[in-house]
Amino acid sequence: MSVTSIFLLLVSSILVNNFVLSRFLGICPFLGVSKQVETAFGMGMAVTFVMAMAALITYIIQVAILENLGLEYLQTIAFILVIAALVQFVEMVIEKTSPTLYQSLGVYLPLITTNCAVLGLAILNIQEKLNLISSVVHGIGAALGFTLAIVLFAAIREKIELYNVPEVFKGFPIALITAGLMSLAFLGFAGLV
Amino acid sequence: MREVIKLGLILLLITSVAAFVLGITNDITQGVINARLEAENIKSIEALLPEADEFIMVEGVEGDIIVEVYEGFANGNVVGYTIKTTPNGYNGTVEVLVGVTKAGEIVGVKIGQNTETPGLGTKIADAAYINQYIGKDITQEFVVTKDNPTEDQQIQAVTSATVSSNAVVSGVNSAGSLFNDKLKNR
Amino acid sequence: MKLGRIFSRGLVFDNPVFVQLLGMCPTLAVTNSAFNGLGMGLATTAVLLGSNFVISLIKGFIPSKIRIPAFIVVIATFVTVVGMLMNAYLPALYEALGIFIPLIVVNCLILARAEAFASKSSPFKSIVDGVGMGLGFTIALVILGIVREITGAGTVFGAAILGESFIPARVMAMPPGAFIALGLLLALFNRITSKELNEL
Repeated sequence: MSVTSIFLLLVSSILVNNFVLSRFLGICPFLGVSKQVETAFGMGMAVTFVMAMAALITYIIQVAILENLGLEYLQTIAFILVIAALVQFVEMVIEKTSPTLYQSLGVYLPLITTNCAVLGLAILNIQEKLNLISSVVHGIGAALGFTLAIVLFAAIREKIELYNVPEVFKGFPIALITAGLMSLAFLGFAGLV
Repeated sequence: MREVIKLGLILLLITSVAAFVLGITNDITQGVINARLEAENIKSIEALLPEADEFIMVEGVEGDIIVEVYEGFANGNVVGYTIKTTPNGYNGTVEVLVGVTKAGEIVGVKIGQNTETPGLGTKIADAAYINQYIGKDITQEFVVTKDNPTEDQQIQAVTSATVSSNAVVSGVNSAGSLFNDKLKNR
Repeated sequence: MKLGRIFSRGLVFDNPVFVQLLGMCPTLAVTNSAFNGLGMGLATTAVLLGSNFVISLIKGFIPSKIRIPAFIVVIATFVTVVGMLMNAYLPALYEALGIFIPLIVVNCLILARAEAFASKSSPFKSIVDGVGMGLGFTIALVILGIVREITGAGTVFGAAILGESFIPARVMAMPPGAFIALGLLLALFNRITSKELNEL
């Protein structure tokens, strides 16, 4: 695993295969927590933290337990339980150690369990046979891509609030079309790596 | 404390039942799935190298994007190879299978599993694109062009799917260098 | 609540996609063709039916403190079973849906029905609710799939209907098309329902 290939993996997971805009993972928080830039950024940071940890732990579970015992078919159930437990654990640790961080991230943490980006990442890592380091890099890159998308999206939605949108398009319809245009822009990165 | 143990036991019970159900389903379906995968695999490599009637896997040649290689025999003599590669496409990896004779002539190219854009990138599996490789020498370095090809190593890209077309070219090229380096002189 | 009402609620009035906006990831990701939308919808319906039924059966036995992990285990079990069966008997669909089959686990729709309905209702009603919500989800996915397939490839369920002269807008089969098509459909849905409300 050379430095170049790690860098390429990072760039491709942030821009080219952006989790939200081209892989459709993590759409629920993308649409739900994107009304303000500040909260969107908070959500992005919380997701980054959990995804990096989840990539590490699910990789170890896959290699050390599931593959060792030939129980690959328990993957989905094992991963989702580990992610749920991890999110709880992270929430408790942050609450005890850093009240300020907890105040800014705390509300988003419980939502992350059902963020399909986390489980999706874990499954993709195994499917694409990434090793431990690439798995974690992929996790960080994907989460940064998520953060980039949600923060940009929130910034646009803040502006849309000020405009006179036709009644039937108010709320989600115009938000989805905005996301479509962003996704179109991100298509331009395809083939970069 | 007693409550924690009780909660833990209930969860343990639920997960055990779940694991039991999954174990049974796995036993039932695994055989069907394996048989189907094996049949598909054999069928696809037979189509790549029609000359051969028997295939044996070549060990120790897997590389960056080389997945598996079979040596094809007819009446006990080596007639060629099938090489499966997984280059990066527009959206994830693309399975590119190449059949090549012992002399290095490409006799079959097939696109396997991929997640390219339907109706666009997936056109790399069409005969119009694939047939460009047939009959050519695998040891040369293929390049993608958007215009009509003028030289033997040029491959015309599928319209507005250059990235997917490039993926196939890089798959065939790595199969070519593998053939050059390791298979040719076996 | 009457059974007919429970059933029709999922289909129209509380449609998971058009009204509740639940399960957006598979909705957007697999609807590049009507067939894929149908397959994902039916797979989700099967999981929803199973999980709703089992959860309503064991609801009295699960302390509320551990109900979420217990629900997740039940849902994940059904998802894995459905995935295995698809891999064995419907391989083409299994490959087309890919990673979104295991991700049915985190489809918020299923956990939401478990929490809001199945954990409080009788097994029979839960089945009706599961089928109603599942079919509502399926219909939404098929509609979106049809719209994207016609505009993006000129076909419906793989059959060409628009003739040779139609030049498909490829972008509709790609990620941007998913967002835009769903945005326009939601606006249309809003328009229809608001008109009906005004007339009532």
